[in-house]
Amino acid sequence: MHVPTLVRFTVVLGLFLVLAGCGTLGVKPWQREILARPEMALAANPMDAAIDDHIYFSKEAASGGRSFGGGGCGCN
Amino acid sequence: MRAALDNPTNALLPPHAPEFAITRREDGITAVSFTAMASPCEVLLDGSDVLEASELGRRAAQEAWRIEAKFSRYRPDSIVSLINRSQGNAVVVDPETAALIDYAAQCHALSGGRFDITSGVLRRCWTFDGSDRVPARAAVAQLLPLIGFEKVGWKSPRITLPAGMEIDFGGFGKEYAVDRVLALIATQFKGAALVNFGGDLAANGAPVNAPWQVGVERPDRDREARLLLELTQGALATSGDTHRFLLRDGVRYGHILDVRTGWPVPNPPRSVSVAASTCLEAGLLATLAMLHGAAAEAFLSQHAARYWCLR
Amino acid sequence: MQLKRPASPLHLGLMAASCALLSHTARAQSTDDPEQPLQLDSALLYYKENAGRVQTVEPMVSLKKDFGDLRVLDGTLTLDALSGATPNGAIPSRKPQTFAGPSSGSLTPKPGTKTSLYTTAPGNLPQDPKFQEQRVAGDADWSQPLGLDDTLSFGGHLSAEHDFDSIAAHGGFSHDFNEKNTTLSAGVSEEYDRIHARGGNPVPGSDYELYEHEGSQTKTVTGALIGVTQVIARNWLMDLNYTYDHSRGYLTDPYRILSMLDTQGNVLGYRYENRPETRDRQSLYWVNKVALGPTVLDVSYRRSKDSWGISSDTVDTHLRIDLAPGVYLEPHARWYHQSAASFYSLYLSAASPLPTDMSADPRLAAFVGTTFGVKFGMKVGRSGELSLRVEQYQQKPSDQSSALPELRGLDLNPNLKANIVQLGWHFEL
Repeated sequence: MHVPTLVRFTVVLGLFLVLAGCGTLGVKPWQREILARPEMALAANPMDAAIDDHIYFSKEAASGGRSFGGGGCGCN
Repeated sequence: MRAALDNPTNALLPPHAPEFAITRREDGITAVSFTAMASPCEVLLDGSDVLEASELGRRAAQEAWRIEAKFSRYRPDSIVSLINRSQGNAVVVDPETAALIDYAAQCHALSGGRFDITSGVLRRCWTFDGSDRVPARAAVAQLLPLIGFEKVGWKSPRITLPAGMEIDFGGFGKEYAVDRVLALIATQFKGAALVNFGGDLAANGAPVNAPWQVGVERPDRDREARLLLELTQGALATSGDTHRFLLRDGVRYGHILDVRTGWPVPNPPRSVSVAASTCLEAGLLATLAMLHGAAAEAFLSQHAARYWCLR
Repeated sequence: MQLKRPASPLHLGLMAASCALLSHTARAQSTDDPEQPLQLDSALLYYKENAGRVQTVEPMVSLKKDFGDLRVLDGTLTLDALSGATPNGAIPSRKPQTFAGPSSGSLTPKPGTKTSLYTTAPGNLPQDPKFQEQRVAGDADWSQPLGLDDTLSFGGHLSAEHDFDSIAAHGGFSHDFNEKNTTLSAGVSEEYDRIHARGGNPVPGSDYELYEHEGSQTKTVTGALIGVTQVIARNWLMDLNYTYDHSRGYLTDPYRILSMLDTQGNVLGYRYENRPETRDRQSLYWVNKVALGPTVLDVSYRRSKDSWGISSDTVDTHLRIDLAPGVYLEPHARWYHQSAASFYSLYLSAASPLPTDMSADPRLAAFVGTTFGVKFGMKVGRSGELSLRVEQYQQKPSDQSSALPELRGLDLNPNLKANIVQLGWHFEL
């Protein structure tokens, strides 16, 4: 079933707004001790992530998604 | 102006809608008023325009509400409630809470054990509402094992509170807020400022025209006949029991409790006001004086520079 | 009035305690973050595929400096040295096949022309044995706060290799709200590449025998991203990103060909591949980080679709287990599936009309990729860390054989197996 791109885009945007509007989710500033641990950061292992991204970019058709690729290589 | 102690009925009030009022007085002082910690609060600024006062007042109020939300034992999501619910498990606290617990520990040591943030459990049998409901000896004795800061495991930043015990910062929370808010204003405002939270106040300089005029309420007297003080710089805190007591068989039980016995300190003064360089200092000295009961004046003459002790 | 007298020990003690409390909390609550030491992150990657295929050694160095107040400069230098045999897109045959390497002047030996040919034995996957490539890439990124709740970031990338140059830039903005429990981000990027294959770019879709070449080609990639990060609980953080990118220009691989077969499966010739001039791609990426005591679980899912007909799903999980303070083990498992591009086929049939777009590149085929690995990390010194990561990646294509008589029994698109070893070193200067 071919779903028009505009519809898909609206659904995704709606998902974002719903998530962003979750004002009840979250913690107080003094409850962030676990989240402050370096291994809990989204960019916890930037080297590993960059290397993985490079390997899978040259071996697979999909790539990135996490953030910007920041430039290509001749491997795909 | 009343002592900076919390009132159990506050638990029934919903969190207040943040709002504050700005008034411009004839002497050129701008006053920002709001409610925090169940007290009327005001921030007085000398030589500020309404726009600046509005911004400063907003920050002051937010800091007061932040401290209240974070440390109030009436808020279920405060760090104090979290610690009190920990059932004997260690809780890792943030730097600000750690600093407050360190302060409480030092005051406990300096006061020879009289000042104790674990004394709150006595609320379970003492309700100072002017009635004659004095608890039974046995009921009070049962609570004594749950009191004593020396029983608290404190190794920064980990606090281990034995199950059944409670802590609360009500003994110096308002004074802490006054000093913090004054410091905050001083970083952004060059003129003289005075912060007054329900009678506990501090100023960082005198207004250009005249020193701050501060009135201290005298218990059992007309509101007009107040003690008038001139304040240029420093803090003033008052501890008193004008409205919180029990009266039974002609004996008046003040609400200052001796943690070593669980019973009110005998013959406390009606009100003690102390002036010192910070509100924390002034408040602690006033509270300690009350805890000395009959010996309050002797304590004050030995340890405090400026004080007013009323019986 | 009372007379002034020297303060008693108790009073002095109280003054000291009060001052300590007020100055300590003033510092702790201050929004001014001091300057941080320089952080150095380096890694050495060794990647090797089976059956004599590609192997690469890749050192990477990254320097990061926080100038205070969360203004951060990040620079990375990557060197890549690849060698080994790489499949050229033709399929195995029962007869030997001869091909020209990219730097060869012609397909057949000719006097006066430098030729470099290679022959593939019957039954083997045709691959250029002398594939070699060196690449240098540099990245720089800057991020800084804009007011209390916003962050601005931008960066650039430059890379060069013998047959490919790339320059890219990106910029992004994020806004925190809800007591920093929610962050909305948006960004754009632009990339410009130049493809100049050795010996010139073959004319896409042309007959291999003609060996026609043209000058260098270019392509551009424009991308956009929107994302939301949300704190779900004290131990759970979630991030959802939507990315869109549009590529335009020379998207063909200049070195790949397709085998042209007759109805029996005999090789009649070859053609250079030809990919469409545009590609639109959309991705939805969802990652969760959950702390279960000292253990941290990282689970992500990505769904991707593009205008070439390729859709893919990726599930990636890491579990960081603390063995002792500063020592950890992190097992890793990844599952990837992609469908084939609409113009992908293992080979061309002379009987069918020649398609406009065609490719036999195994990277556009339908396959399942799985990765299993483990990383071991250990704190060294005051703020350093040494780590070792060992992984194995396997690709299993769905189309590996054909019923054609000449091709029976031949593995037309063999499984790929790659071993990955990475040494990492992190420390603060």
